[in-house]
Amino acid sequence: MKNRLIGFAFFLALLLVLGFLWGCSPATQRTTASPMEITDQLGRTVKLDKVPQRIISLAPSNTEVLFALGLADRIVAVTDYCDYPPEAKQKPKIGGFSNPNIESIIALSPDLILAASIHEKGVIPQLEEKELTVFALTPKTMDEIQQAITLVGSITGKEKEAAALVDDMKKRIKAITDKTSGLTALRRPRAMYLVWHDPLMTAGAKTLQDELIAKAGGLNIAQGLTDYAKISLEAVIQADPEVMIAGVGHGSGEDLTFQFLNTESRLKDTAARRNNRVFGVDANQVSRPGPRAVAALEELAKFIHPELFPGAK
Amino acid sequence: MIKIEMQDVWLGYGHTVVLKGITLRAMPGEMVGLIGPNGCGKSTVIRALSRVITPHSGRIFLDSKDLTRISRRDLARLMGVVPQMPLLPSAFTAFEIVLMGRNPHLGLFQYEGRRDQAIAWQAMARTGTTTLAERRVGELSGGEIQCLLIARVLAQETKVILLDEPTANLDIGRQIEILDLIKKLCLENNLTVLTALHDLNLAAQYCDRLVMLCGGRIHAEGKPEEVITKRYIQEVYGAQNCVYPHPVNELPTVLLTAGNRRRAPDQGG
Amino acid sequence: MSTPPANILPLRLTRGHNRIYAIVILCLLLLGIGGVAIAIGSVKIPFGTTFAILFSRLPLVDFTPNWSGGLSTIVLDIRLPRIILAGLVGAALATAGATYQGLFRNPLADPYLIGVAQGASLGAVTGFLLPSGWLGPEMVPLLAFIGALGGTAIVYGLARVGKTLPMTTLILAGVAVGALLGSIVSYLIISSGEKLHGIIFWLMGSFSLSRWSEVQVVLPYVLAGIALLILYARPLNVMQLDEEQAQQLGINVERLKLILLAAATLITAAAVSFVGTIGFVGIIIPHAVRLIWGPDYRFLLPLSVLAGAIFLIAADLMARTIATPEEIPIGVITALCGAPFFLYLLRRKKKVLF
Repeated sequence: MKNRLIGFAFFLALLLVLGFLWGCSPATQRTTASPMEITDQLGRTVKLDKVPQRIISLAPSNTEVLFALGLADRIVAVTDYCDYPPEAKQKPKIGGFSNPNIESIIALSPDLILAASIHEKGVIPQLEEKELTVFALTPKTMDEIQQAITLVGSITGKEKEAAALVDDMKKRIKAITDKTSGLTALRRPRAMYLVWHDPLMTAGAKTLQDELIAKAGGLNIAQGLTDYAKISLEAVIQADPEVMIAGVGHGSGEDLTFQFLNTESRLKDTAARRNNRVFGVDANQVSRPGPRAVAALEELAKFIHPELFPGAK
Repeated sequence: MIKIEMQDVWLGYGHTVVLKGITLRAMPGEMVGLIGPNGCGKSTVIRALSRVITPHSGRIFLDSKDLTRISRRDLARLMGVVPQMPLLPSAFTAFEIVLMGRNPHLGLFQYEGRRDQAIAWQAMARTGTTTLAERRVGELSGGEIQCLLIARVLAQETKVILLDEPTANLDIGRQIEILDLIKKLCLENNLTVLTALHDLNLAAQYCDRLVMLCGGRIHAEGKPEEVITKRYIQEVYGAQNCVYPHPVNELPTVLLTAGNRRRAPDQGG
Repeated sequence: MSTPPANILPLRLTRGHNRIYAIVILCLLLLGIGGVAIAIGSVKIPFGTTFAILFSRLPLVDFTPNWSGGLSTIVLDIRLPRIILAGLVGAALATAGATYQGLFRNPLADPYLIGVAQGASLGAVTGFLLPSGWLGPEMVPLLAFIGALGGTAIVYGLARVGKTLPMTTLILAGVAVGALLGSIVSYLIISSGEKLHGIIFWLMGSFSLSRWSEVQVVLPYVLAGIALLILYARPLNVMQLDEEQAQQLGINVERLKLILLAAATLITAAAVSFVGTIGFVGIIIPHAVRLIWGPDYRFLLPLSVLAGAIFLIAADLMARTIATPEEIPIGVITALCGAPFFLYLLRRKKKVLF
């Protein structure tokens, strides 16, 4: 009788201890030592032994994703161009976007490096040689941006935050596409996003801006072109855009393209100029494939369909 | 009627003094010959007279006017030069080169007219170069070019003509032909002619007066029979020679003896 | 000497006639290529409409327009100024090239010999790198122009010896100063980072976005300069003899050198400042004209004007149609024409060329 009681107490104690252990570990915190294998957006299989604590971002869009997921204190370095949110500017820098300083990166002993598509050929192999963990994000569409956010969430243990962010993005996008996806071509204003004015470069099909214009209910006059492409002034005049958009920056140098759209005398007869529908959007928001692309979409929607999306310009 | 006059001209290139106090004169209707060994300054005299180079000291007069006071264009109307070995642009035709001789007579933006072309053509006819008219200069021989240059100076219609070795590349027939022509023009039109010649016999035959240069100085001056003497030739050229009167016209003729060349005492002074 | 009768004059005059016909033919060819160039573009406009638009601008013609305003803008405000500018630049570069070849008596001389190109590049690159708040994009052509003239002035100042300007010294100084300025430009380019794109396009030369305001600026310089050079054609002929002979024929050589250099440099600087440095025009066209019609500058210059204009309008047409909608930089087209031309020149054994 006494043996069975001790055995039963022991069993209870074990249960309690296990229950205690079970309850204590937060569901979202993986302290496991088992490695994770995950495929990045370049199709590379990346092995992660543990949750990364020292992250370096090689692209402004990646930096924005990291901050949006609340990973600010795990970021050890960013590029010179990472300027959003403002706290990002305080972080140590490891060089430019296309040419980061490999030595600086190595010196910081990162356990995760978030790269971009332009690093595929040169930078990533160099980092891999040094046995650093590189995860590439190459989103070109809104869906891919959301996928990128989700991926970052899962490799950094921030799945919940990532899911929340993606949800929010989806909701806001849906708020717009609900009203615009049904629009026929006739009801879509002809729109153009001008990347640069000398030579004239616009965003053709398969670019982020093209997708934003389409979702915002516009008809990209350059959809016959692919990627960022040169376009002739003649073709622009012929296409007679009703809405013209250019990126405006915070520095004075970025606004030349916007000025060009407003001041070029040969464009004065376009519908956009006659009706005063030349708009500037935050250049970074509209071209960085990050969480703020949704804000850009909302702005574009207001420009292109003010009757559907009223709001201050 | 123009006379040339050089007074005590000293001239050099850089640190080398080439002409040392040259005083000479040429009168209208007179053909003066400049003779002397290589490097004695014959070409330099001609270049100084045509104001291509400026003397360090001394004065030059053209028709009693100081040379430096005459404008470039006026000078070219009065004085024509046949240079020794000039560069000619090889793609131009012979006629075009001769036509350039008309330049001093044309206004700034004026082109050569019919009359200019006729004068140039006639100059070529007199020098026997009309067959070369359409040929490019780059294809011509040295002798043909030399005749062409003389045609050019004739087309220039100047009162003074300076010639620097005008017969150097010509065969003997042509030499006589050209010098006959020049002499004839000199006499008929009362031109003042100064010519550098290396051929002493031709110089004696054609020139009314000779100036013999040696080492930048005038060694002898006067009529051919006064200057072309065995002694002077030996002094200046250092060549064994004999001087005889020409069987036909009694002018001095130099005959050289091969070998036994003795260096002249004051050569290169 | 009396004037001989005119009928003894040789075939000289027939050569003169040939060249006058040549001028007439080239004028017609120029109008032809201009017409073709204005009718072709990235937007297809029917020939009839294009010419109707053109003629409607003539004062006495009365058309009721049956075309959209956009087409009118395309033909009159995009294509026409572009073609005219291309013609002006081609004419300027060819004439300047012919003049430089005559001044230096060197078949390899081109308008960029004494620092114009490098000076203009330096000016333009500086303009690109200045903070954009400064007077906007108009600064680049102005700075390029100043740079072009400045570069040449430096070369001229270095080469001058007392009152004379020895041509060989001028070439050497030009090469040296050009190399120096070029290296500064290269350094600025490398350290300019992302502003590079615009600079590279300028350096390779481009007529895209040519506008009437540019034509208005370039036209007076180029026309005045070319007119002056053509007026000096005869003395330039005489300059082909060496300087000594030219002097003996009454030419004030130093003054002529200065005038010709100044005029040729001015038209080159004007041409280059808006469009960038387009190579080969200044060296090929005079040679081609010389090959066909001889070295007499009285004809070489006006024929170079026409041939240069025709060449560059045609080259620009090719640049914008071969790889449409991409525009090939026009310097590439002229270089592609230049290389085989030079090979051809080298292989010629027969006639004397220069």
